[in-house]
Amino acid sequence: MRALSARLGVAGAVLVLAVIISFIVMASVRDAVAMSLAILVVAAGVATITTPGLRATHPVIARAAMSTTAVVVALVATFYFSATTDYNLATGAAMSIVLVGLSFLTGASGQISLGNGAFMGVGAFIMAIWANHHATTPIVVTLGISVAAGALVGFLLGLPATRLRGPYLAGMTLAFAVAFGAILNSFNSWTGGDGGLQLPNVAAPPHWLISLFGRSTPLLTTNTAWLTDITLVVTGVAFFFMANLFASRTGRGMRLIRDNDVAAELVGISLPRARVTAFVVASAYASLGGALWTLINNSVSPSTYTFALSITILSVIVIGGIGTITGALIGGLIYAYSTNLISWITSQTGLNPQGNLASQLNGIIFGGLLILTMLFAPLGIAGLVRHVWRTRARRSVP
Amino acid sequence: MDPFLTSRIVSDLLGGVTQGVIYGLVALSLVLVWRSTGILNFAQGAMPMFATYVGMVFFAKFFGYWPCVALSILTGFVLGATTERVLVRPLYGKPEINPIVVMVGFLIVLESVAAAIWSSGPHSLLSPFSQVDFQLGGKPIALSDFTLYEIGTALLVMTLVAALFRFTNLGLQLRASALAPEVSRLLGVRVGRMLTIGWILSTGVGTVTTILVASKSFFQGLTPQVMDGVFVFGFIAAAVGGLESPVGAIVAGVGMGIILQFVTDYVNSNAILLVALVILVVSLMLRPNGIFSPSTARRV
Amino acid sequence: MKLSRTRRLAITGMSLLLCAGLTSAGGWVASSSAATKVPGVTAKQITIGATVPLTGIASQGYSEVAKAANAVFKYVNSKGGVNGRKIKYILKDDCYGTPGFGCTGTPSTVSQTHALLSVPVFATVGSLGTPTQDSVRSLLKSNHVPQLFVNSGSRDWNNPSVYPGLFGWQTSYNEEGKIFAKYISATYPSANVCFLGQGDDFGSDGLAGLVGAGTINLTDTQFYSVAALVTTQGAVMGPYVAKFQSDKCSVVVLDTIPGATDAVLGAALQLGYSPHWVISSVGSDPVTVFGPLAGKVPSDPEVGAVTFTYLPSSDASTPWHAWITKVLGKDKADFPSFTSTTVLDGNMVYGAAWGVAFVEALKAAGRHFTRASFLHTLTHTTFRQTPSLTPLRYTPGNHQGLNAGYLVTVTSATATHPVDGKIWMTDSTPNGPVTAATKFSTGIPTWLK
Repeated sequence: MRALSARLGVAGAVLVLAVIISFIVMASVRDAVAMSLAILVVAAGVATITTPGLRATHPVIARAAMSTTAVVVALVATFYFSATTDYNLATGAAMSIVLVGLSFLTGASGQISLGNGAFMGVGAFIMAIWANHHATTPIVVTLGISVAAGALVGFLLGLPATRLRGPYLAGMTLAFAVAFGAILNSFNSWTGGDGGLQLPNVAAPPHWLISLFGRSTPLLTTNTAWLTDITLVVTGVAFFFMANLFASRTGRGMRLIRDNDVAAELVGISLPRARVTAFVVASAYASLGGALWTLINNSVSPSTYTFALSITILSVIVIGGIGTITGALIGGLIYAYSTNLISWITSQTGLNPQGNLASQLNGIIFGGLLILTMLFAPLGIAGLVRHVWRTRARRSVP
Repeated sequence: MDPFLTSRIVSDLLGGVTQGVIYGLVALSLVLVWRSTGILNFAQGAMPMFATYVGMVFFAKFFGYWPCVALSILTGFVLGATTERVLVRPLYGKPEINPIVVMVGFLIVLESVAAAIWSSGPHSLLSPFSQVDFQLGGKPIALSDFTLYEIGTALLVMTLVAALFRFTNLGLQLRASALAPEVSRLLGVRVGRMLTIGWILSTGVGTVTTILVASKSFFQGLTPQVMDGVFVFGFIAAAVGGLESPVGAIVAGVGMGIILQFVTDYVNSNAILLVALVILVVSLMLRPNGIFSPSTARRV
Repeated sequence: MKLSRTRRLAITGMSLLLCAGLTSAGGWVASSSAATKVPGVTAKQITIGATVPLTGIASQGYSEVAKAANAVFKYVNSKGGVNGRKIKYILKDDCYGTPGFGCTGTPSTVSQTHALLSVPVFATVGSLGTPTQDSVRSLLKSNHVPQLFVNSGSRDWNNPSVYPGLFGWQTSYNEEGKIFAKYISATYPSANVCFLGQGDDFGSDGLAGLVGAGTINLTDTQFYSVAALVTTQGAVMGPYVAKFQSDKCSVVVLDTIPGATDAVLGAALQLGYSPHWVISSVGSDPVTVFGPLAGKVPSDPEVGAVTFTYLPSSDASTPWHAWITKVLGKDKADFPSFTSTTVLDGNMVYGAAWGVAFVEALKAAGRHFTRASFLHTLTHTTFRQTPSLTPLRYTPGNHQGLNAGYLVTVTSATATHPVDGKIWMTDSTPNGPVTAATKFSTGIPTWLK
């Protein structure tokens, strides 16, 4: 009983913190209220569904139920959010797909990759190029093509990666990330050069859906909400698969390789195959995130997919919690809202918002958090919460 | 002889060597850190950049050029030592990714703080020697007072480091601490101090490199991002040459500089990044631990 | 088994109830919001915004542009605002142009534009950059937010049928190229001409204008990539300049950003090569260009170069220079170390010029206006009293902006002087004529003094 109340205490603290932060960073009070309600509902739903019994006996169904609840609540919530919040959430959700892929690659299989920004770029550009040449292909199919392209690139990069360790692998992915822009530039008749590409038409919800709701909302709100909905559903599906992958035999094999590759080989796991699989998965997920970004922004630009993005991705998953799935979700939210939080800090401290210090605050805080997290909480926020959850539960047992 | 020396091929060769020694120096500092502490220092460009700002921008208000150079190098030493003690010490024995992420974070912080204090705009650094090329029969040869100074300084630094490792007691201790820390400790070597000295040397070499790069650059002079691009090429050179081998780092650096100069001239400026990537992948496929590495990787 | 089925039913039921609860709560929340009449405009204030490079490599020089406009707005506010409204200008950093580590964590132009839309802003005024502003054209259009005075010489902003709310401000690269061609063919009739441009529409549009009329002898054309430029700290320019030297080009046209101009001039200095330089207005401002070179070169290599400007040269005796100096001096937040003896550089004058243009457009729109009526005013008024050399005129069919300027020579690290004082104008067709302008801007309006 005490364990339960201790856990409720931790959960409660986390929820209260989430609500406070929503009020600080959200675009308007209405958005913050809707967000808080959504968080509470999701938390309640997840808590009821993840009762120990169901999780142990039917883990796949439990994960499906969790994903579905979260997605359904989020879908309902998007209709009450402003267009900006929809956009931010969609951006964060797509980023969390990328993050969960990197979480798997680095956290589960122990391979360092500094090139996930470039993998995102692959999916993003394939999406735009395909849409420009075949405007009638359904969105889902185009997303699938982007994922396939990403998987292919991941395979190509994963092959040399099997032979490389630590710093050399980091170096190769770094070189890929830096050279990606040059690769895009070499094909600038396809990729549109520095200006990038626009999608031919903005994705709009099908008529039957509009008539179902019967409201004449402004064009963008409907479109942004629709794109956000697509993104959220795709995110739910992607996370469902990743959760299963983590828990599956392949996932366990990956973690064994990370911890002790000699033992893994003795057990019969093929090291090269596992390593390449990890790269393929991470790259496919990153491409999916990039393709969704193209969809949400209705355009793609090479200046988005630079090495700085790869660094940002790594930073955000480290802070969120590398090797975990919740870490990817937290990371996505951090990515979407860090600027708002920092602007809030700037306005509270009375700094000149156009001055030197204020414009560098993003970098200082990001970099500082990265260092502090790695030194004191290497498993990130998700790891911290899990640690507190376990120790509280343990301590309260007499 | 004249037409040969001023020809396009020789100009590219000389230009490539001039760029290449810079990449070689960066690669050397990476190797110094790797050999002494087993860490890949992503902030290898940013730490000297910060030291250069302190020495050449802050102290420049009070002192002349050469004293400022000395002060920058000293600041580099201090920064290297402090970083090793504060950031790197706690990370020994932890998974490989931890120090990489910490140094990436440190890189971001250093660049942001430098921009916050001194603004992200360019600062012009004096060029202590003329950069006008020597003329041979009316046509320029790709050498000037400054390039000779550059190549000379690089050679001097490399020689000093080599001499330190090979001929001094300190060098012996440094090599021993890297190779067999436990045994060295038993023999009375202050291993911890050796680790710090490795970082001190590395940042010192880096600061000299940064001053060279910033002084010669007409592009923007000294900015917080001045070493970012050079770091990438230097890193590739170190990986190609082998992180264990200082000689390999320098040879790979100079080689890359020459190849890339020819690529810029005969292909286009966009291709250099692609060529660098190809060089890296191909060489790592053939020799996963670098071309000059003493041992091959353990193939399980 | 029975228990878990009941449990499952309970879970489903609870979730449905919760969803229903959320829906009704949301409905209540939704019904309690009110919309503003004209977004971004209240009785006392008009809010506008822009995405500009406050950090990153383009921030050198370019960050001053929007700040100068902000200084103009603050000055106007201090005199009571325009038609009784004060102007609030929100600047968002999009770190434009930095392909390296330098912008970690900084959001993109699209995110920052979304942030501006949520304020809401009446319009974006003076956002900078071609690829950045291209990426938000459809977003702003679908939100009916005017995108005014984009700081770039691309022709993308002149597309009224597709983007009725999108307006450029400066002369396009293409028009500049044509005026250069006329000057070169008149001054150096049979010279070998070489061209070095940025590898995007800045370079290609400029080149198209240069060769359009077929009057110059173009011997060699090279393009540089910004990423390679930054990564090698300008070393990539060396081989290009060496090529020009061996081609014996006595005239070299540069469509380069200031840093690239620096790299080219430096490379030429090293090679002992001094052709006649003709440099685009984008990368020729003497103060900006000389900055990184100070202490490295015996004398400013840009002296003698010819460039193009649609703003008065620094030694022109227009009352605007004194006015801009006064206005910038009063804005201590944006220009903390500006005094009455600080030299005005091109970026400051550029920003002040479109700042004045906006203020005058706002005044012409009257006390009561909507976005549509404002755009109507903008396309049916000629603004004769801005710092630019010629009046600013938009029509429903032409949103490019200024189309005339004169050629100036760089005379020192801080000053320029007109070549012949003739103001040339042209259009953006490939071989449209270059003619001497007959209409000029006149002084400062009384209400602004």
